[in-house]
Amino acid sequence: MAHPILLYVDPGSGSYLVQVIIAAILGALFYFKNLWWQIKAFFTRPKKEEPPKNEPHND
Amino acid sequence: MTNVHRHPASFRDPSGFLFRSNGLLYRQVNKVYQPHYEQLMQSGLYQQLVSAGQLVPHQELEQNLLNGPEAWKTLQPDILPFISYPYEWSFDMLREAGLLTLSLMRKAMEHGMLLKDASAFNVQFRNHVPVFIDTLSFEKYEETKPWVAYRQFCEHFLYPLYLEHYCGVEAIAWLRQYINGIPGDLTAKLLPYRSRWNLGVRLHVLLQQSVKARKESTAAPAPFSRQKLTHLLQHLESILKSLKPGYPPVSTWSNYYEGTILGKDYLSAKEKIMEGLLSRLHQSVVLDLGANDGFFSQLAAQHRHQVVAADFDAQCINALFLNQKKSKYPSILPLVMDLSNPSPALGFAHEEREDWLSRCRVDCVMALALIHHLVIGKNIGLEQIAAWLSRFAPQLIIEFVPKTDEKVKGMLAGREDVFSNYHTAGFEECFSVYFTMEEKYPVEGTDRVIYCMKRK
Repeated sequence: MAHPILLYVDPGSGSYLVQVIIAAILGALFYFKNLWWQIKAFFTRPKKEEPPKNEPHND
Repeated sequence: MTNVHRHPASFRDPSGFLFRSNGLLYRQVNKVYQPHYEQLMQSGLYQQLVSAGQLVPHQELEQNLLNGPEAWKTLQPDILPFISYPYEWSFDMLREAGLLTLSLMRKAMEHGMLLKDASAFNVQFRNHVPVFIDTLSFEKYEETKPWVAYRQFCEHFLYPLYLEHYCGVEAIAWLRQYINGIPGDLTAKLLPYRSRWNLGVRLHVLLQQSVKARKESTAAPAPFSRQKLTHLLQHLESILKSLKPGYPPVSTWSNYYEGTILGKDYLSAKEKIMEGLLSRLHQSVVLDLGANDGFFSQLAAQHRHQVVAADFDAQCINALFLNQKKSKYPSILPLVMDLSNPSPALGFAHEEREDWLSRCRVDCVMALALIHHLVIGKNIGLEQIAAWLSRFAPQLIIEFVPKTDEKVKGMLAGREDVFSNYHTAGFEECFSVYFTMEEKYPVEGTDRVIYCMKRK
């Protein structure tokens, strides 16, 4: 039986699958972004630029 | 227990409910919520959020006030000075409320919990600071599951903000119609084509719609993880921070006191009168109707009054909200409100969301440069306005703007003057039915008069 708390008007029913897909896309974006910064850091002088926070762009 | 009244909006969550007893507000926690409540209190999450001013604090009562089979504990939450609803907020107010919700999610996850709902109605404003009010929204976090309130977050925060950003319409007010949030399919239909190139719109609006359109799979979804949820929250946060209202920051009313015939002299004469009136007023909750850019709300705040500033112009209210962050006297709650059509009672049995007038428990009303907009702009009679204003507060400060005033002349130009009793004597006659005129100050250099009245 489901947990009773989850029985009340489920605010997000049907949004599970979409979250799984979104998380996979965002995960891939984060991965490539980090990779890009690592490559960039390898070819640029140290101390000159710090990688930014681990956040994807919104565009 | 005598005089117990269960809060009509508090019926959906089986974890507990709000009720009033002898005029005081309480929250019953049901047995089913016990493990979650204990984790909230013992993990240090409650203390962290209350210290940061992000969650309304409460006291635990030693004995339950109600003796149902479900009752486990009774809490007494702190009372907020004024209740407002999301459809009365400006763009940045809704954005701040959304960012608060995401911040609470992140902090909750650090303590092994999450928010099981993300309703904008769970946030209130103490002046310009958003605060979360639903203590029972926190529940234990199971890392393999996605965020149960994700879609609700989108519908309550992200979609109205997207619509304001891309379409330049005041979509936050639509939450009056859609009290469970603006639906995703409506948002997808209304967003312009150019928005499709945005990753956030593609993922959180369009992808949701295409997934929803497919037949629900009976297979169990792939497990989620803490890292995935963190990515999702980070993305939502970065979107919210990047959005701006799509309409110009300056509206017709933004420069009401500047660049018109009502220049600096009028403003300083009026300021002098208001200084005198506000300084003699005992510390009060003042409601500024038609607050415009909040010049006189700020004057009231400087005199240590709590102020609720209402105006129909969302841009003015948004600017006032943003100014509050920098203000030395940040005791103003700005609200978007069309005074000729204020928020009605809404929701199931008309009881979930109280109408605006019932929530206005204030000591004094200021109605400056407002009456001509209601009488001549909206064809509302002076008698009706006097009766309506008498329902707000015992004290009224009101400015009468006669037909000889340039603003009124402009409003009457090109239309029939059907306002036969719209003159000083007519105004005084109508208002003296409900009020006693205490003081009367002509505003130097104009035909306008400011009255201070007491309700009979």
